Amino acid sequence: MRPRILPTDVLLGTAPIALVLALWQGLVSFGFAPVTLLPPPGIVFGRLLQQLVTSTFQQEIVATLIRLFGGFLIAVVFGVGIGIAAAASPAINSVVRPIVRVLAPLPKVALYPALLLLLGFNHESKITLVAADALFPILLSTYFGASTVEQKLIWSAMAAGTPRREILFKVVLPAAMPSILTGCRIGLVISCIVVFLAEMITSTDGLGHVLVTAARTFQAVDMFVPLITISLLGLILNGLLQAVRSYLLRGFPEV
Amino acid sequence: MIEIDRVSQVFQTSARSDHLALSDISLSVEEGAFVSILGPSGCGKSTLLYIVGGFVNPTSGIAKMKGKTITGPGPDRGPVFQEFALFPWKSVLGNVMYGPRQQGVRAVDAEAQSRALIEMVGLKGYENFYPKELSGGMKQRVALARTLAYHPEVLLMDEPFGALDAHTRTRLQNDLLNIWERDRKTVIFVTHSVDEAVFLSDKVVMMSRSPGRIRQIVDIELPRPRRRTELLLDPRYQKFVVDIERMFDDDDEAGPGA
Amino acid sequence: MTQRGALIARAAPVLACIGLLALWQVASLLLKNDSFPTAVEAIRAVPAILGDKEALINILASLRRMAVGFGVAVAVSVPLGLLMGRSRQVQAFFNPLLMVIYPVPKAALMPIIMLWLGVGDIAKTLVIFLGVSLPVIYHSFEGAKAVEEKMVWSGAAMGLSAAQRLVRIVMPAALPEILTGCRTGLVLALITMITSEMIARQSGAGNILFNALDMGQYDTVFAMIIIVGAMGICLDAAFERVRARLVRWSEPQFDMPLSFS
Repeated sequence: MRPRILPTDVLLGTAPIALVLALWQGLVSFGFAPVTLLPPPGIVFGRLLQQLVTSTFQQEIVATLIRLFGGFLIAVVFGVGIGIAAAASPAINSVVRPIVRVLAPLPKVALYPALLLLLGFNHESKITLVAADALFPILLSTYFGASTVEQKLIWSAMAAGTPRREILFKVVLPAAMPSILTGCRIGLVISCIVVFLAEMITSTDGLGHVLVTAARTFQAVDMFVPLITISLLGLILNGLLQAVRSYLLRGFPEV
Repeated sequence: MIEIDRVSQVFQTSARSDHLALSDISLSVEEGAFVSILGPSGCGKSTLLYIVGGFVNPTSGIAKMKGKTITGPGPDRGPVFQEFALFPWKSVLGNVMYGPRQQGVRAVDAEAQSRALIEMVGLKGYENFYPKELSGGMKQRVALARTLAYHPEVLLMDEPFGALDAHTRTRLQNDLLNIWERDRKTVIFVTHSVDEAVFLSDKVVMMSRSPGRIRQIVDIELPRPRRRTELLLDPRYQKFVVDIERMFDDDDEAGPGA
Repeated sequence: MTQRGALIARAAPVLACIGLLALWQVASLLLKNDSFPTAVEAIRAVPAILGDKEALINILASLRRMAVGFGVAVAVSVPLGLLMGRSRQVQAFFNPLLMVIYPVPKAALMPIIMLWLGVGDIAKTLVIFLGVSLPVIYHSFEGAKAVEEKMVWSGAAMGLSAAQRLVRIVMPAALPEILTGCRTGLVLALITMITSEMIARQSGAGNILFNALDMGQYDTVFAMIIIVGAMGICLDAAFERVRARLVRWSEPQFDMPLSFS
């Protein structure tokens, strides 16, 4: 079972966050940083709450979420599919492996201008960029998980009368699940980051766009708000995935 | 029941060298017999079992089950592995039900049968536990129940008690014999423990290594049902154990690779 | 037999590159889109960019910032990660803070940092530093946590102090995992560099890319993509060679690159 979280740990863990906030407040209060450059935390969080209830800001969040989920889900489908296929078939593996070797270290964001030219400035290009970035961690962890499934697990299922084509779904996929979910977790964080950056580089809506607009008019407070929002979104989505994970993996030993 | 006819197995260990794991093995196992394959590690005894299971194809020679050449795994031959190989994402009940469900047994019937089997291996009350919550001995009981659930004609046991502590090991040996006494299924049991082989088997196939060959076949003519505590005092049992150990000692003195 | 196999394995990524370029060529010929030049046209534009003195200086300046940001990040993150892996208190102290920082897009801090530090090298290097740190800390942490306790005990029994144990036992034992983190960090450094330049639009490879896009020089856009892509692939391949040499002793690792994005 997972180690119990001790109260002292919670205290230790909140300390640096509190310190950062105190330092932040201190810098402003003692006049080291002008309020126009570094607005105090109280004002920033007040502004955040104020914004969260407005429908315009909610629409920006929705635009970001559509792109984030669109790209992430495409990445999950292709990543898991290709990863399992590459682990199951040596022929597919010999094609996929070199392509992945080349494409995985390629900075996908450099493709963004090309995607803009080909797919336009709307959702499509951003969703594709998010999918391209989230794909590889999911693909690689799926492949890793699927190719290290214990041989005897497969043998046990075969002896019980499972046909070869069903082994993939009945044994390999569930056995690779811990690895797949680790990949999804990395992919999700990357999706959050990439969608925001794509919106910053060129967009007419979304959280990234809010930041850029604020930067153009030197509104420091409004620059912090979308950043904190995306960070919160990341934490919430990560928490949801964690819940899915502990449900799906309830039988697996903790690693 | 099972005929192994001049089976050899070569593994490619690196680009240049091959390893002859099994050399020209012929063996037949009668229906209802409890046969142990005994030998030092690396003698290919597990490989031989995997060939009967249909998990590994022999390099040459054939293995037959009831006159039909073995080409792949099937529910007529049920393996029990040292590593348990339970499905971690399924509960105890889910693991045991897997085979019957795969055979097309209705869920209600499969569950009833599986519950009965779980009780038989002494795990009543643990149906909804996950494998990670069980001790090694309990896991191996589940693995045995899972295999028995699809009614294989032959049990293929690959050092099933090798990962357990001495105490758990003897308990499971006793329980295995009790279960076996009920329907006397054919069992092929791979082990490196001389006591275990003599205690359980009708016949002990001794193997030597490099290359894996059958050294000798010993018939264990001891009365059944066997009780461990009585047998340990029985001079006939002691003689089997000592004779077999002496034969292995002679092999070792003859030098490695002999 | 095996030599031929090794040759094929080595040539496979090159073949994959050629295959992908061929795919591009065919796609662009089929689409006949003005803003989608063929692979051949894009490759032809590469020498023009690299021959242009200003562009070359720009790209080299980008690489220098990247190297500094990466180097400093590794120097800070590895010790921190190792300490977190070996001490429950250090772990409890830093973990929540890192979790909050993790989903923040580091390149997105560019406008704010620019507001404070101006558009100079320091701002850009700082962003790269932030981008690289987290994966390196994470992998060092995981590596140090997985070091077998008995091995550390053996060191203690031989009279090593706590600091010596960390440097002489934990660090080498965690090296394979640390290097995996560094490999991820290296690719991430390149990504952060390009992205921050795209956002700041002052200088560097990312800026060239978007200037060309704005001016409709599509050959240059795609040629820059090839250059940046080649940088990523070459850096990764070079680092992989170094890694493989440094950890020859360890179990053969998973040989597909496990880098994020």
